[in-house]
Amino acid sequence: MVSRRDNIGPAIVFLLLMCGGGVASWFLAAPAMSEMARPDYDVTRMVFTYSTLPRLATALIAGAALALSGALFQQVLRNPLADPSTLGVSAGANLALVVTSLFLPDLLGAGRDLVALIGSATAAAIVVSLGARRGFSPYSLVLSGLVLSLWCGGLAAILTYLNQRYLSSLFIWGAGSLAQQSWVIPLSLLWKLAIIAIGCAFAMRPLSLLDLGESSSTALGVRLVRLRFVVVALAVALTAFVTSAVGVIGFIGLVAPTIARLSGARRPAQLILWSPLIGAGLLFFADSILQLVAGGLGDFLPTGAVTAIFGSPLLLALLPRLKIRHRLQQSPAFRRPRRWDGTAPVIIAAAGLLVLLMVSTFLGRDVNGGWAFTSGEFSADVLAIRIPKILAALASGAMLAVAGSILQRLTGNEMASPEVLGISAGATFGVAIALFAVAPGFSGQFAFAVAGAISVLVVIFASSRRSAFAPERVLLAGIALSAMVDAVVGVLSSTGDPRAVLLMRWMSGSTYLIEGSTAAMEVALGAVLITVSLAARRWLDILPLGPSPSAAVGIPLAKSRFALFGLAGLLTAAATLTVGPLSFIGLMGPHLAREAGLARALPQMVGAALIGGGLMVAADFVGRTIVSPYQIPAGLVSALIGAPFLMLMMRKRGVS
Amino acid sequence: MEVSRRSFLQFATASLIPAPLFAQSMDLRIVSLDYGLASTLLSLGLPPVGISDLADWDRWVVEPTMPKSVVDIGSAFEVNFEILVTLKPDIILTTPYLDELLPKLQSVAKVVRLEIFTPGIGPILTAAIAATRKLAVELGCENEAEQFLARADVFFARCRSRLVGKNLPPVALVNFMDARHARIYSSPGLFHNVLERIGVRNAWTRESNYWGFETIGIEDLSKVTDPDARLIAFDPIPPDVLPKLAQSPLWNRLSFARPGHLSILPPALMFGMVNEAMRFAGLLTDLLEKEA
Repeated sequence: MVSRRDNIGPAIVFLLLMCGGGVASWFLAAPAMSEMARPDYDVTRMVFTYSTLPRLATALIAGAALALSGALFQQVLRNPLADPSTLGVSAGANLALVVTSLFLPDLLGAGRDLVALIGSATAAAIVVSLGARRGFSPYSLVLSGLVLSLWCGGLAAILTYLNQRYLSSLFIWGAGSLAQQSWVIPLSLLWKLAIIAIGCAFAMRPLSLLDLGESSSTALGVRLVRLRFVVVALAVALTAFVTSAVGVIGFIGLVAPTIARLSGARRPAQLILWSPLIGAGLLFFADSILQLVAGGLGDFLPTGAVTAIFGSPLLLALLPRLKIRHRLQQSPAFRRPRRWDGTAPVIIAAAGLLVLLMVSTFLGRDVNGGWAFTSGEFSADVLAIRIPKILAALASGAMLAVAGSILQRLTGNEMASPEVLGISAGATFGVAIALFAVAPGFSGQFAFAVAGAISVLVVIFASSRRSAFAPERVLLAGIALSAMVDAVVGVLSSTGDPRAVLLMRWMSGSTYLIEGSTAAMEVALGAVLITVSLAARRWLDILPLGPSPSAAVGIPLAKSRFALFGLAGLLTAAATLTVGPLSFIGLMGPHLAREAGLARALPQMVGAALIGGGLMVAADFVGRTIVSPYQIPAGLVSALIGAPFLMLMMRKRGVS
Repeated sequence: MEVSRRSFLQFATASLIPAPLFAQSMDLRIVSLDYGLASTLLSLGLPPVGISDLADWDRWVVEPTMPKSVVDIGSAFEVNFEILVTLKPDIILTTPYLDELLPKLQSVAKVVRLEIFTPGIGPILTAAIAATRKLAVELGCENEAEQFLARADVFFARCRSRLVGKNLPPVALVNFMDARHARIYSSPGLFHNVLERIGVRNAWTRESNYWGFETIGIEDLSKVTDPDARLIAFDPIPPDVLPKLAQSPLWNRLSFARPGHLSILPPALMFGMVNEAMRFAGLLTDLLEKEA
């Protein structure tokens, strides 16, 4: 049985969090407590009783539920990265709620929980079934989870944006707000959490056995498939209940079990007991501090974004000490037999890109909303507006894809890309600082974006150096950073500063403000940087083979790595300026190129550039025309097109 | 509602009929990037060829009806320039909020930039009337503008006389943002100015920002101490707000939660100009007259 000593660490962490939260919320509550009760409508007391207190209760319960959900996912999928946000489950619930409230509002009255359940269960089913095909490798699970999460988030953002002009403040409530107006939500969450906790108690024993390994636990009578199904269903339900009540609150499900594990909870039973307690303390602490610091603004700051802001650095700090118990199942190296030499796919891709460019340049929507080829008296004017956007999209897509190829080769991690590693988010963060601090022109913004991208690269490699760039850690660091940067930008946006609108536009990757001069600059940057990358093809062919072969053929290891990472940073920064941090092109381009049989560095980069540029041009075209005269940012469209495509590809690979 | 609608249409769009008599006006192709300016154009007899956010017109403005021929040029913040250039406008009407787009707009056509909601401009209705006159000078239709403003004066006076001698409650005007927050409208805003014109007291006495609103928590409504005060909420109300309010003690203990103290009015644009002020005046007068 669990010895008492093992529980001291988590207990201390839990107590510290609760004390911190208690002190902070005492400051919140003190003014109301010190006042004498008055018989009439006493605003201070009313707010204290029906808003402050239920909010604190909701924070405790939601934190516990999310952390329990994360702990269950991590145990049953044997994946230390799993949580409702990295598996796309929260985002799925949120998307279902957004879609329903926009198109079938009557359904919401009947069953918000049911809608959220359907959304999160669908997301979980997609992610887990993809994972199952690849032996639940942590990579493929988190990859598909992140892809799905981005897809759902992007789609929900577009739908809200298109339907809620003038009520833009409503954005906040989807982003995880704990603000309460009565005890209804905490009370209903409480009994739902209680029921699931009872369910967990029954699953505890077989879950513990699972730690012995699949074959041993099966031998001991664990029915693996049924156990997985039941536990995943419990975790999904927890996430759905929380999301339908308070929106997406990221990171608690990842951070709480991690803290529990680091503070000494090693056995499954301990993890599942302590994670929810630590999660409750964590969200309680976070939310009361937030209210204390933000004052009146606290109501409008999405708590979900704020938890990510200080949850992720904590995780980053703990990362080097994280003992990953579940050894990584390396998916067998998969090489498609080479059917062609490098030239055929490149020629096909180039031809496809040419067709795309022609269509996107000349096809558009007219005044009455009909499709029409541009011709006649206005064609010169229209083309002058359209072509810079197309060129900028092309250049950015190509740059991202090349950056992705470099990163994938250097890290030996097929999931690496500027978007997944958080480098794009770093560039956006740089632009945000530029915008709020100095407001420079394009070159100034580029400098700040480069600085942002490079800093993220530095942080990633500093925090994962000790593990010799183990892909898992680089990935976790990247996720933590992206989440943090997204959160900071989200908080900035919700302060209502007009510059935040510009920033939101950046985040969603809009080509709207691009003019001839900007486009020319992007194309020039793209041409130079991609040429330099192609020139480094020998390094990129040899470095992935390992340090000793590289040194043997005379490659300066540190210098070449440094130069290539720097190059990837520059490419990412330049591209992010026009397509935002969410485009996914940097992940898709190189993958698709490799799928097409382009294995060596030079053909892969050329193919990736063509494919990435083409995808971005297509995204720009769709965003410009699909809801004309309104426009959807190209970066979001590319994520929407790219994500399902990528998942389809993973499916195919899983079979073979 | 019926009365208001008929009288409103009579007054606001009567000018549509004489419009084609002015050959000079017919030639002007005008695009408006602001709802208030767009509805003013209709009343001046110069229907625009295109406006921004046309898709949401019926959600926020409703009246006067936009002619079918008007083209949607996309969101005001992201004007669809491809469609804008094909409309070949002579004049583009804009506000300080879209200054970011000015250089690009100026490359398409002459831009007329009118200030209504700007810091320090004072009562919005006065500013809107001044902007209407300034617009008329730019477009060469001063006579139509004076006629329209005179019709507006008559309309407000008629509303006022309909309410005279009635036992009128003070009113608080809100848009619900969610179940915890609302925007409440007061001086110097457009709707507050209308209340003054038609002789209704605003129950919310604090000054607000230059847009004429402030964001408050639901519990702050308790600062309205008059027990007879009425709360008037405008559509569109986010779908989950009313059910959530019904469960909220913060709301249920307010005097507004008692039956008959909350009314919901059809949408009326609080950030508009003279037409929007008239629509609000008509809707409110109908409501108060019916229930007085």
